[in-house]
Amino acid sequence: MRKLLLTTALAAAFMAPAAHADEETVTIGVVTAQTGPLAAPGKFQMNGFNLAVDEINGNGGFQIGDTTYKLELKVYDTRCNAAEGASAMQRLATVDQVPIVLGELCSPVAAAEAPIAQDFQVPLVVTVPTASSLTEQGNPYFFRVNANSGQLNEALAAFVETIDSEPLSFIAWNNDTGRGGANGMRELLPEDFEFGYIGFFNVGEVDFANHITNIRNEDSKAIMLLMDEEPGALAIRQIRDAGLDAKLIGTLAMGSNRFLDRLNAEYLNGMVQYSSFPPNAPMERIKNFSDTYKEKYGEESHGFAAQSYDGVFVAVEAMKAAGTTTDGAAIRDALAEISVDGVIGTISFDEKGQASPPVYITEWCEDGSRKIIAPEDLAADCGAG
Amino acid sequence: MKLSLSTIVTIVILAFGALAPFIFGGQPYILYVLTLALCYTIPAIGVNILYGYTGLVSLGHMGFAGVGAYTTALLMKDVGLPFVPSLFGGMFAAGFLGFLVGIPCLRLRSHYFIIVTLAVGMILFTLFNNLDGLTGGAEGLPGIPRPGNIEIGSFVLDFRSLTGFYVLTFIIAALTFGLQYILVRSDFGRSLSSLRQDESLAAARGVNVFGHKLAAFVLSTAIAGVGGAMKVLFLRAAAPLSFDMNESINLMMMLILGGAGYLVGPVIGAITFIALPEFLRVAAEMRLIFFGFVLLILARFAPRGICGAAEVAYRKLANKEANVVRYT
Amino acid sequence: MATAILEQFINGAMMGSIYVLMALGMVLIYGVMHVLNFAHGVLFMVGGYLTHLFFFSWTGSYPLAILGSMVALAAIGIVLERLVFRALRDNLRMQIVSSLGLILIIQNGVVQIWGPHALQMRPTTVETLVKFGQLSFTLQHFVIMGVVAAAVAALYLFLTHTRLGTAMRATSQAPEAAVVVGIDPNRVYTLTFMIACALAGLGGALLGPLFIIFPQMGDAPMLKALSAIVIGGMGSVPGAIVGGLGIGIVESLSTLVIPTDYRDTITFGVLILMLLIRPWGIFGVRVRGED
Repeated sequence: MRKLLLTTALAAAFMAPAAHADEETVTIGVVTAQTGPLAAPGKFQMNGFNLAVDEINGNGGFQIGDTTYKLELKVYDTRCNAAEGASAMQRLATVDQVPIVLGELCSPVAAAEAPIAQDFQVPLVVTVPTASSLTEQGNPYFFRVNANSGQLNEALAAFVETIDSEPLSFIAWNNDTGRGGANGMRELLPEDFEFGYIGFFNVGEVDFANHITNIRNEDSKAIMLLMDEEPGALAIRQIRDAGLDAKLIGTLAMGSNRFLDRLNAEYLNGMVQYSSFPPNAPMERIKNFSDTYKEKYGEESHGFAAQSYDGVFVAVEAMKAAGTTTDGAAIRDALAEISVDGVIGTISFDEKGQASPPVYITEWCEDGSRKIIAPEDLAADCGAG
Repeated sequence: MKLSLSTIVTIVILAFGALAPFIFGGQPYILYVLTLALCYTIPAIGVNILYGYTGLVSLGHMGFAGVGAYTTALLMKDVGLPFVPSLFGGMFAAGFLGFLVGIPCLRLRSHYFIIVTLAVGMILFTLFNNLDGLTGGAEGLPGIPRPGNIEIGSFVLDFRSLTGFYVLTFIIAALTFGLQYILVRSDFGRSLSSLRQDESLAAARGVNVFGHKLAAFVLSTAIAGVGGAMKVLFLRAAAPLSFDMNESINLMMMLILGGAGYLVGPVIGAITFIALPEFLRVAAEMRLIFFGFVLLILARFAPRGICGAAEVAYRKLANKEANVVRYT
Repeated sequence: MATAILEQFINGAMMGSIYVLMALGMVLIYGVMHVLNFAHGVLFMVGGYLTHLFFFSWTGSYPLAILGSMVALAAIGIVLERLVFRALRDNLRMQIVSSLGLILIIQNGVVQIWGPHALQMRPTTVETLVKFGQLSFTLQHFVIMGVVAAAVAALYLFLTHTRLGTAMRATSQAPEAAVVVGIDPNRVYTLTFMIACALAGLGGALLGPLFIIFPQMGDAPMLKALSAIVIGGMGSVPGAIVGGLGIGIVESLSTLVIPTDYRDTITFGVLILMLLIRPWGIFGVRVRGED
C-alpha cells in the first residue's frame, strides 16, 4: 500500500511537467519447484520466465500511461509440496504484495495455491499443471495458459482412433500425470475400443519388466507411455531390449532432441507423442522462440519454457489493459477478456480461466528428427517436430 | 509453590497463541505460517501420547491423519455436512482404523510394531493415491470448503478468513493440548509412562499392558485424524503426498526435536520444524541435511530434545541439582 | 502364458538377488547388534553413485569400480558404527532416530553433490542382449544373479569356516558368553557393519548400471529387504536369502494377476499378516520377549 501511495505521489509529481516518462519496476511473483524431485522441469519453467523478462526489459520495458515499467521476478521454491506452495503464495500475496503470480508445476500444489489467490485478489496464472479439476473450481482468480489433461487426451484419443492400435496397453506413472492420463483415455475412447494391459508404477521405480511381460501376454499393438523423460527413456529401452515391437505412444516430454540423446533413433523410430510445443515447427513464432532459447541456454527449447514465456506476456498485457500494476482485481478482469498471440498459439481464457492452445501430434522419423502429423492444417514433414 | 518451567512455557505459549491475531493482525503471512504450524502441532501431540509417554514408535502416523483428512473433507464437500460433525467423523474414522490396526498389531513388540506402522502407512498412502473415484487420486482433491460463519450477537467469526481460521485451529489445538495435559496427569497417563520405562515391571504391578497401549494408540490416531483434517481444510485441497511416509517421519522428527514426553514438546517441535525454516526460507535440501545432523546429535547427547535441554539449563539456573532422568 | 511365467521368473530372481544382498546386510546388523538400520537403502544408493564415480573418473573398468565402491562402503560402515551406532546399543528408539537422521543427511547430501538428475553408466554387460526364443534379457541380469550367488557362498564360508565368522555368529547367539570366551564385541560390531555396508554397496553397483543411478534408488530395495528379513525371520541368514529371493519372484509373478498399482499393498499386507501369524518368521527362532 505504501508503495502504491509512493508511486501515485511520484507519478503526480512528474505528471506536472508532462511528457517526461517515469520509470518504475513491477515485481511479479513466481512459484515453481527449484529443488526436490521436480527440479528439472522447474528449470525449464524458470528459463521461460527469465527469457520473457529479459526480452521485455531489453526492449525498454512496457508502458502504462506515461510510466515505463521494467519487470522483476520474485521466485519462491515450492518443491511440489502443497503446504510449501500455499505458504509461498501467501507470502507473495501479503508480504511481497505482487499484483499477479505465475508458475507452478504440480497440480495438487496449484490446488492449494488457487484459493489464496482468490482470498487476496491476486490472479494466479499457471503454465504447466494439467489436472482438469483445477479449472473446475469456479475460482475467478485462477487462469491456465497450457492445455489441461482433458484437452491433451482429446487430441490423443482422436489420433489413436485413426491408427491400428487395438488392443492398446498403458504403462503410466502412479501420480497425477499418469493416472489422469490413463483414466482420461479410457473415458474418451469409444466403448468398444479394446484395451490391453494397464500398468501403473510408482515414481522412482525403474524396472518395467513386469509391465512388459503383461503387454506381451496381451498381444498389444500399441503401448501408451504416460510419464516423464527419465522413466520414459528407460521404459522404451527395456521394451525394445525385451524384443517387443508394438507402436509406442508418448507424452510431450518425449518429443525432443534431449530425449533422443538418452536413447537413439533406432529405439524411437515410428513413435508418436502429443506435444503442446514442437520446437522445430516451421512457424515464425516458434522458430524465433526456439532460436532465442538455444542462444541463451545452449539447448533445445522446451514446451514448459514456451508456455511460461507466454505466461509473462499474458501478465504484462493484462496489466496494460487494466492500466494498473497494483490492482489485482482489475488485472483479473483484464485477464478474462485478454487475447495474446503467444509462442504456443493465441491465448484467451474461457469463463473457467482455461486457454485452448493447439495440441500437436508428432512422430519420430528414421533419422532422429520428427514430423508433425496433427492437427492437419499444421502438418509438416521430418525435421519439423 | 514455585512454578515449574513447563508450566511457565505452557502459559506463555497459550497467551501468545491467543493474542497472535491481535499481534499479527496486519501481517497475514506470519499468521498463515503459525496456522500451518498448529496444523502439525495437533498430530504431533497425538504422536507424543504414543511415543513420548507410552514409548511406541509409529512411522505411519500421517497415514492415519490422512484418513481423518479425507473423511472430513469428503463429508463436507460431497455430503455437505457442517464442520463439527465432519471433524468428528474424521476423528472417529482415524481412531476406528487405529483400533482395528491396534488390536492385532499392538501385541507385537519393539521393532516389529515399528515395521507394522510403516507398512500400514504405506498401504494407506497407496489407497489415497489409487482410489481416484473417492479421494480424487493423485491429482488431489481441490475445492474443500472451510467451515461457515459463527455469529454471536453482532460479532461474526468468519472461518473463511485467515484470522478466523487461525482462531479455529488454535481452539482445536488448545483443546488437544488440554486433553494431553489431563491425560498425562491422570492415573492412566502414569500407567502409560510406566509402560515406556519398563513394560514387564508395569505388567507385574498390575497394569493392563495391552489395554493401555490400545487406548493410547486409538487416542493418538484419532488426534492425528483431527490434525490431518485441519490441514486439508486450511489448504482447501488434499493431496496424497501430504500423507506419505516422509511426512510421517517428519512428524516424528518434529516431536523428537521439540522434546518427546514433554507437554510443550510437540508445540515447540512444530514451530521449530515448520515455522522457523519457512520464515528463514532456507533451501529445503540444506534444511534437511541440517535436521539430519540435529537428529544424530539429539539421539546421542540430548535424547529429550529442546525441552530436555531447556529443563537441564533451567534447573542449573535455579540452583537445583540437574537430576534429569535419561530418556531412552 | 508359459513364456510370461518364465520371463517373470527370471526378472523376479534378478530383483530378488538384489533384495538378498540388502537383506543379508540388514540381518547381519540386526542379528549381531540388534540395530534396525533404516539407512541401509541410502548406503545402497551411495554404492551406485560411487561405482559411477570410480568407473568414469578412476578406473574405467566396471569390476574394479564395483570393488572400489565396496571398499569405500566398508569404510563408511566403520565410521557409522563407531560414531553413530556404537553408543546407542540397546537403545532401540534412538537407533531409529539416528538412522532417520542418516537418511536425511546422505540422501540430500548426494543431491547437493551430484544434483537431482539421474546418472547413467552403460558397461558392456548392460548393452549385450541374451536371447531365448522370443524372450531377451541383458547380460547384466545374469551377471547380477551370478555375483550374488558367489557373494552369498563367500559369506557362508566366511561365517562357518573362519575365526572371525565364528566370532560373529557367537556374538549374535550369546553376546555375554562370547565375551567370556575372549571375543571382543567391539571388533565384531565393526566387522559386521563393514560387511553389511559392503554388501549394500555391491547391490547398488550391480543394479545402478542396469537402470539409472538416482537419489531414491535405494528406498524400494530397503523396504523390500526389510519385508524379506521379517518374513524370513529377523536375525536368520538363510531366512534373509529365502525371503529376499521369494519376495522378488512372488512380486514379479503376482503382477500377472494383480494390478501393479496395488503390488506394494499386497507386499506390505503379506508382511503384516506374517507378523501377526508368525512374528519370528520362517526360519527365525522364537525368543522370549522378542516377538
